[in-house]
Amino acid sequence: MFRSVTKQQDPMTAVQVTINDTLVSVVPGTTVWAAMALAGETATRVSPVNQQVRSAYCAMGVCFECMVEINGMPNRQACLTEVVDGMQINRQVITEATIAELQTELKVEPQPQDVTGNLSELTATGSSLAADVTENIKTGE
Amino acid sequence: MSVNTTSQKLSSDVLVIGGGIQGASTAYHLAQRGVSVTVLEKDTVSRHASGVNAGGVRLLGRNIAEVELSKAAMQRWQQLDDELDADTGFRRRSLINIAADENDLDSLRSREQQMHSLGYFHEVMLDKRELLERLPHVADHCVGGVVSEQDGYAIPFHSTQAFRIAAERLGACFCEGELVEQIRKVGDSWLVDTKTQQYQAEHLVNCAGAWGDLISVMIGDNVPMSYSAPMLMITARMPHFAGPVVGAVSRPLSFKQFENGTVLIGGGAKGFADRANNTTRLDYSLMANGARNAIEFFPIMKTACINRMWSGLEAYMPDNLPVLGKSMRAEKAYHAFAFSAHGFQLGPVIGEVMADLITQGETRFDLEPLRVNRYERKTL
Amino acid sequence: MTEFFTPGSSDSSAEESSSISYDIAIIGAGPAGMSAAITASRASVSVVVLDDKPRSGGQIYRNVDASPLPDAEVLGPDYIKGAELTTRFRRCNAHHIRGVTVWHVGDNGEILFSDNGTTKRLTARQIIVATGAMERPFPIPGWHLPGVMSAGSAQVMLKSDGLVRDEAIFAGTGPLLYLIVAQYLRLGGKVKALIDTTPKQNYLHSMTELSGAMRAPGMLIKGVGLLNEIRKSGTKIVSFAEDLKILGEEQAEGLSYTRGGKEYSLPASHIFLHQGVIPNLNMTQALGLEHDWCKQQLCWKPKLNRWGQSSKSHIAVAGDSGGIIGADSAAAMGRIVALNQLVNLGVISALEGESEAADDLTFVASQQRFRRFIDRLYRPLDQQRIPESPGTVVCRCEERTVADLKKGFELGGREPNQLKSQTRCGMGPCQGRMCGHTVSELLANWRNQPVADVGYYRLRSPMRLVTLAELSQFTDVTPKAKKTEEVN
Ligand SMILES: Cc1cc2nc3c(=O)[nH]c(=O)nc-3n(C[C@H](O)[C@H](O)[C@H](O)COP(=O)(O)OP(=O)(O)OC[C@H]3O[C@@H](n4cnc5c(N)ncnc54)[C@H](O)[C@@H]3O)c2cc1C
Ligand SMILES: Cc1cc2nc3c(=O)[nH]c(=O)nc-3n(C[C@H](O)[C@H](O)[C@H](O)COP(=O)(O)OP(=O)(O)OC[C@H]3O[C@@H](n4cnc5c(N)ncnc54)[C@H](O)[C@@H]3O)c2cc1C
Ligand code: FES
Repeated sequence: MFRSVTKQQDPMTAVQVTINDTLVSVVPGTTVWAAMALAGETATRVSPVNQQVRSAYCAMGVCFECMVEINGMPNRQACLTEVVDGMQINRQVITEATIAELQTELKVEPQPQDVTGNLSELTATGSSLAADVTENIKTGE
Repeated sequence: MSVNTTSQKLSSDVLVIGGGIQGASTAYHLAQRGVSVTVLEKDTVSRHASGVNAGGVRLLGRNIAEVELSKAAMQRWQQLDDELDADTGFRRRSLINIAADENDLDSLRSREQQMHSLGYFHEVMLDKRELLERLPHVADHCVGGVVSEQDGYAIPFHSTQAFRIAAERLGACFCEGELVEQIRKVGDSWLVDTKTQQYQAEHLVNCAGAWGDLISVMIGDNVPMSYSAPMLMITARMPHFAGPVVGAVSRPLSFKQFENGTVLIGGGAKGFADRANNTTRLDYSLMANGARNAIEFFPIMKTACINRMWSGLEAYMPDNLPVLGKSMRAEKAYHAFAFSAHGFQLGPVIGEVMADLITQGETRFDLEPLRVNRYERKTL
Repeated sequence: MTEFFTPGSSDSSAEESSSISYDIAIIGAGPAGMSAAITASRASVSVVVLDDKPRSGGQIYRNVDASPLPDAEVLGPDYIKGAELTTRFRRCNAHHIRGVTVWHVGDNGEILFSDNGTTKRLTARQIIVATGAMERPFPIPGWHLPGVMSAGSAQVMLKSDGLVRDEAIFAGTGPLLYLIVAQYLRLGGKVKALIDTTPKQNYLHSMTELSGAMRAPGMLIKGVGLLNEIRKSGTKIVSFAEDLKILGEEQAEGLSYTRGGKEYSLPASHIFLHQGVIPNLNMTQALGLEHDWCKQQLCWKPKLNRWGQSSKSHIAVAGDSGGIIGADSAAAMGRIVALNQLVNLGVISALEGESEAADDLTFVASQQRFRRFIDRLYRPLDQQRIPESPGTVVCRCEERTVADLKKGFELGGREPNQLKSQTRCGMGPCQGRMCGHTVSELLANWRNQPVADVGYYRLRSPMRLVTLAELSQFTDVTPKAKKTEEVN
């Protein structure tokens, strides 16, 4: 485990961040990576290529191993980013098979039955959207 | 297959200048017919446009003068991996051009009319519902589009190398680091000088890309060619949100998401080209426009992170059509250059056309609109 | 006097020429960048300094003004003395823009950087790149696993966040490795072992670099002193180790090594690796500066004259980004480079520049002998730089192994850029920082040619990932801008 050897901090100044759904309290000025390390959440991302878990390596911005999702934005370097109160930090899990979730506000007015069915199928099934569409093309849809 | 000897390299039936996809494809088609061929490349094979382009394999929206060539090329792409015994990375994904408003739909309708009257039916219009079905992440304001089903993408570097390796297997020679400095016709032979060697051949093919006009002048044909540096950017991997290749009817937007999740964004914005030094410089404010367009059409792109940006040197003719066919001034010289940012898709068929011209003296395609001297009278 | 670059020449866009240029832009606020800024800031000269850290100091003086530690003295006098420099830097006239990442520097003087989710642009007549060093990658089997970090990271976490990791193994070679272990111990951190890979013969070879004029190099004494300090603490030290391998499938579980032909293994859930530092090349490469392979330091570095001027006369490189010289020389080079640019700008005469820089030029030259000695002594093992084992990961971003690269090489990827196109090695977000040197050396081995003939990746902007959203918003920064970023 990582452990802090910092001087005593005033608890009143602490900021709250959420790391993988757990609320933790950290000293202002802490990097996101340090907050994760202290919380024992050292897995920053999943390798997109082989799906293995990876963690920070250099802590100084050169290796890009510490890419996490912060407030919904992926590819943020945890070691270069300082915590801000209310920050949502999540392990980055974008692999070559990940399908984008459909943002609901993007859907247009009520659709004929078959389309909505098709849409939810596209996002619900595990197979890639790309493959589905190619499949549609092949079958002449 | 016999190993290429120096004498074979220095003296061959055909000399091709330029080791891009057109030169490599030409070499492949000639070698296939038993013709001895040497390719001279000043840098390395696929160092320029052919190795760094957007990989778009597009039939949609082609100029009428190119449709037949592009259709023939498209047929070839579908089996190219088998034919070359290589992985070009070709994926058939369809290509959709999005209509952002009624004006766009109007231009699509008139294009449809024109295409139908010529007997072409590969471009199919989509209404809003059909568009959403194929591109669920498209922005709300988009009203429809047009699709070409056979279209897709390939990996440029791999494709060009695939032609090169297949050509080499059949006996073609590729000489890298050989800058052609002088060309002369002596008797029946073309004599081509590089810094250290003289090459000799009966036929000469100009596949020199952004340097095509320079080679053309050495052969004796003047062309009003210009060159520029179209720019591209590619993102870090994103969750899959677009299967088809995407373009827009009237906006500089063009992107494709590869199987690995990275998204390649183009759109025709150009940087600064310095061909004498083999370099280009990017214009970041134009890149910013491209970024705005992408987000406007696909809000999910707000979460995209640009990993790399680059540009390549490409040759253009004023009508955005290539120069393709025989030299007008010299016997046994041929041109295939100035593909005006859409020559990658044509690669498989260009080599075939060149090989036909050289071995049979003619081709099944109408090259009249693409002839090298098509601007001569107009400019006077 | 050198020729000026004039923005707005030939093919630059109209927007560019309309913005007002800084005289000098400095990228990086480490000892080199800060010293350059202090020297360059004179009444008539507009200077801007950009740095990606919230506080100035660079690597060595990281957080020296705001240490989270109860007693920063434990980090040593070389650290504490940085406070004097950061204070002078704060008081100088330069416009310091902190917490921003520069992602593009063009040889036309254009600088683009990310600031809080937007892209900002400024232009400068003269540019000083002072982006420092990074640790040399350590491509051994398993180095990509969670639980393995660079030893520099241990120090970074200590300096910035006051974090230690107990019971970790530290392995490799170099003075920085010993310094970090000593700093850990002084703070009460528990170190499982120091596995030293400095080979016996390096001690002999390095002695030949010692000329009669310098019998006791300070750095040697420092290194020995640190090792003694570590030994006295009772920490296990293994010398002359070879064949390092990380144990574990999905997570580091220990380290194995050989010593005198015998294999040993040591369980641990955390391992810190280090084998020296190399210039952080991305900016100088993307700028298209000429680079040389340095046999002494086994790294690429930009070609510079003694004034730090690169192959493009309006661009200078100062400090470790121009070749590893250490903090004191970095500070001296910062001043030298700044004086040269003041000469270039016509602010001072060449004679004035020469005389003001005289002491620093002498100092930097004298330090080079120490460097040769250090570089020889802590020269990293071939097997730790040029991996042989087929499964060793070379490119961490795209997870490309030695075997993948060998295959790409055989398919025609004979040069770094071709190999990259062939295999995707170096295409990931780190832009080749973690694999570039390994690829150059691997290809040189496979081709049986000098590294200098193999070359390095052609790099392009952005030097870091840029979101499409921030790229879509552009604002210009000019010297007239108020110093709003300056909060003390
Ligand atoms: C950024 C970009 C994106 C593009 N996107 C697409 C796309 O999505 N789809 C598509 O279909 N097309 C696209 N294109 C266009 C396509 O890449 C080109 O039309 C095509 O690659 C041209 O091939 P080429 O062989 O004629 O030229 P090149 O690949 O440029 O090859 C010409 C070669 O000739 C060599 N040469 C020149 N002069 C000499 C000399 N004197 N001696 C020896 N050798 C010489 C050069 O070094 C060069 O390697 C794009 C182009 C660019 C730049
Ligand atoms: C992890 C690490 C720890 C080290 N610790 C020590 C030590 O304890 N003692 C010692 O003697 N030496 C240490 N060194 C060696 C150190 O490099 C030099 O001693 C000294 O710091 C070099 O000074 P510099 O000014 O050249 O670069 P640096 O001090 O590295 O300063 C460069 C600055 O530029 C910034 N920067 C880089 N790229 C960009 C960009 N694109 N945009 C904006 N800003 C950017 C960096 O964040 C940094 O603040 C360490 C090196 C490393 C890599
Ligand atoms: S840990 Fe290397 S970039 Fe953050």
